[in-house]
Amino acid sequence: MRGVYLMGGYPDEKKFREACDCAVSSGFDFIEIGIPFNDPLADGPVITAAAYASLAGGATPESIVTGIETLRGTAGLYVMTYSNIIYGYGPGRFSERLSGVINGVILADLPNRMSGVLRGMGLEIPIVPFATLETRPSDLDAINKSASDIVYFVGLRGITGADARIFTDELIGKVDMIKKGSDKKIILGFGIKTGEDASRALEICDGFVVGTEAVRRQGDASRLGDYLSSLVS
Amino acid sequence: MRNDSGFYGEFGGQFVPETLIPALDRLEESFREFCADRKSLAELKELFEKYAGRPTPVYHAKNISKKYGMNIYLKREDLLHTGAHKINNTIGQALLARRMGKKRIIAETGAGQHGVASATAAASLGFACTVYMGKTDADRQLLNVKKMKFLGSEVNIVDSGMGTLKDAVSAALKDWVASFNTTHYLIGSAVGPHPFPEIVAYFQSVIGTESRAQFGEMGMPPDVVVACVGGGSNAIGIFQGFLDSDARIIGVEAGGRSLNSGDNSATLSLGRKGVFQGSLSYLLENGSLQVEEVHSVSAGLDYPGVGPQHSYLKDSGRVEYRYAFDAQALAACRELTRMEGIIPALESSHALAYVFENSGEFAGKNVLVNLSGRGDKDFEIIDRHLLEDK
Repeated sequence: MRGVYLMGGYPDEKKFREACDCAVSSGFDFIEIGIPFNDPLADGPVITAAAYASLAGGATPESIVTGIETLRGTAGLYVMTYSNIIYGYGPGRFSERLSGVINGVILADLPNRMSGVLRGMGLEIPIVPFATLETRPSDLDAINKSASDIVYFVGLRGITGADARIFTDELIGKVDMIKKGSDKKIILGFGIKTGEDASRALEICDGFVVGTEAVRRQGDASRLGDYLSSLVS
Repeated sequence: MRNDSGFYGEFGGQFVPETLIPALDRLEESFREFCADRKSLAELKELFEKYAGRPTPVYHAKNISKKYGMNIYLKREDLLHTGAHKINNTIGQALLARRMGKKRIIAETGAGQHGVASATAAASLGFACTVYMGKTDADRQLLNVKKMKFLGSEVNIVDSGMGTLKDAVSAALKDWVASFNTTHYLIGSAVGPHPFPEIVAYFQSVIGTESRAQFGEMGMPPDVVVACVGGGSNAIGIFQGFLDSDARIIGVEAGGRSLNSGDNSATLSLGRKGVFQGSLSYLLENGSLQVEEVHSVSAGLDYPGVGPQHSYLKDSGRVEYRYAFDAQALAACRELTRMEGIIPALESSHALAYVFENSGEFAGKNVLVNLSGRGDKDFEIIDRHLLEDK
């Protein structure tokens, strides 16, 4: 499974839509759509700047949710954002709008143990659980309890776009532990940049998602297309 | 107040990346061990007394008491080493960091008081230290930047957002996500993910415990306890001594230039519930669920969030939260300086301002104000605002 993260409303609604179309035509299986939040704790400078630019261009959670509805059926869809957006929008209202449209939500500041808080407030869309280099055997239970069919593996210690070698023995060992303890598909995120990274990720895990390097090219569909094609070989 | 998942009622929790969860678990475990270890507590007490200068006195400020028709008592945290209550928490957390075997400390700072207190604890206990400080704050608190560097800390100026405390916390958290194996995040206010609010409240509770005992010795309880609230560490520190008493308790936020959005930092008075920098609490946000840009003349109160315990105490009705405007705080700062010879920090001046401005409510009462810090660091701002209208 190949996935790409794109910032909703960036650099504007039209180009965001072109970028989504480009992802689909490049053979990607799913798109993670970012709803911008102006205190993005888990994001590096590229995605942070895109979030600020999207907001400065007038994007709102409402406008992005509306845009997502029009993407129904084009690819696998996930929303990736921060807890405050879902909390403030209303977990119930968010579910009413996007149930059946998206496959799940990925909340960068919602660790597995806190997912019950938003579920308790009426979030019916599956919350994608995280695995990390720190995941302990005792954490597998929380991962398995999720209604999501994927688990998002944060491949490095740091923020999006960080420069680090990700395919370490540590990572491979941890992926192995999760494979043995869970039947969810493991999607590797944070740190995938090149075609080589992508191929390696597909060998080790069930899929990958590329973020920073795609967002960097998001304003220019042809550059984005070339880049995404280089990850599908 | 707190349940097992780190919530105070509906407030608090751990809204941080999954990667940090084992580090938070380890921190909580270490903190519990620390609190149960007589040797550690004795070391903390020794450092409080011999290094920080505890206990601080409660001073009956007779001149302003007479003018305003009440008995105003000041808890003199301004007399502590480094000039504010922040040192209580940095000494405590530095001991925790040592217990966990960490080599490096990172901290965020607004006014620079927590940064200086962190740099001080790091120098004393032998840690490398990096302090994150917003550019706007660094520009208005230059002396503290120089002090931190002189103490041997690295100061990382954060140029994103408004360049204030919010941006410094965010930058520190981003550092911590990559460095937690060797680094302790010494958070300075009663904010962030569980167990930070509880840890900070614990180390600051000495303010309230001491004050309660000091009033006990005087043979009378305070009728009113007042403290300023930014993130809320000095306030939760003193409040804890009186939550089970009959005292009326008031937290004073920054009303800034006005009550219009973006002009103040009065989170509990004007905010909505939201999830911000690790916890669910009151938050100043706009209609698109984005964190509001905020303002206060005092860098230490200039924060759009607030600690979860305060949100809980507000909703439970035990504590009243009010605000004082920039101009009122500046006037109160001058008033205390001229009448008592004590220059208060602009943060603490908000608490004084509320008492002075509403003296009718407090006629004849014993009012305890937490004088959380001294105003030396604020001199450029005081100069700019007050000298022209002396």
